[in-house]
Amino acid sequence: MKSQPNPDPLPHGAEWLIRLFANAEEIDLILGDLSEEFAQLASQSGTAFARKWYWRQTMKSLPHLVSSAFRASPGLTATALATGFLLRHLVARLPESVTFALVDRFDIYSHHWTVYRFMASTALDVEHALTFLFVGAVVAFVAKGREMAPAIALATIYALMAVVGSVSHVIRGGEYASLLRLSWYFSDSLAVILGAVIVRTLRSNNLSLSGR
Amino acid sequence: MADRDYLGEFEHVVMLALLRLEDRAYGVSVRHEIELRTGREISIGAVYATLDRLEAKGYVKSHCGDPTPERGGRSKRFFRVTGEGVAVLNRTHRALRNMTEGLTLVWRCL
Repeated sequence: MKSQPNPDPLPHGAEWLIRLFANAEEIDLILGDLSEEFAQLASQSGTAFARKWYWRQTMKSLPHLVSSAFRASPGLTATALATGFLLRHLVARLPESVTFALVDRFDIYSHHWTVYRFMASTALDVEHALTFLFVGAVVAFVAKGREMAPAIALATIYALMAVVGSVSHVIRGGEYASLLRLSWYFSDSLAVILGAVIVRTLRSNNLSLSGR
Repeated sequence: MADRDYLGEFEHVVMLALLRLEDRAYGVSVRHEIELRTGREISIGAVYATLDRLEAKGYVKSHCGDPTPERGGRSKRFFRVTGEGVAVLNRTHRALRNMTEGLTLVWRCL
């Protein structure tokens, strides 16, 4: 059925978060419930109060929605997670190998120093982030309908691995610089989540379009 | 489901809300009923996560209602407790009653 316009504007950011994290089959139920209560609250206490309530409900719901996705399809979530690990293992060093193969092939180091400097620093960082974005997208693609849960799990595992590795470097070798690299490692986790967000958003948009 | 299964604290509260609401139990009404009777503000996400879990265990059943304009044209999902649900609810109540027997005096002192 076609959606009816709501007289008070719903907080679209909060609605987007629900669409992102809820199990695909429950999105309309949860948004319907929130929409119904929002309309009641807006007429009783004003739109500002209702919007605040909507946001609070959304933020408090997110952890439950993520854990619910794990419980609803443990097999699918585990498969997506394992795919992410394997894929990351296979492709993590690919950008670096390709970049330095190009550097060697065209002798960039000798002839184009500025280009070399860019390729060995910024371009590598960007390629690295894109690799993890790709991993996140594939994880989300595998976990159809529950895209965010395995992506968040994978991102959390990588972030924890980075923290443990960096702290152990500091404890064993006094390498405090490894702590500075943490932000670089955290960007990997962020890229995984972003990849999943893109896939989920595209899927949601396709579903909305086909439902019209 | 195993005869030794018991309800968790929030599962217990949700099941009691479903019994109270009878055929009017859906996300919003369950949330309101719990807030009204316990004074706890709970999220709709927590309600659905628990209802999903209870449904997977066979303690509740659900069916979809008609779409309504105040929900932006979306349907409600109504829940009701199954026979197995009533059994586990009784078992949990019995266990709690056994555990609390004889503690009235202690509670009065608190």
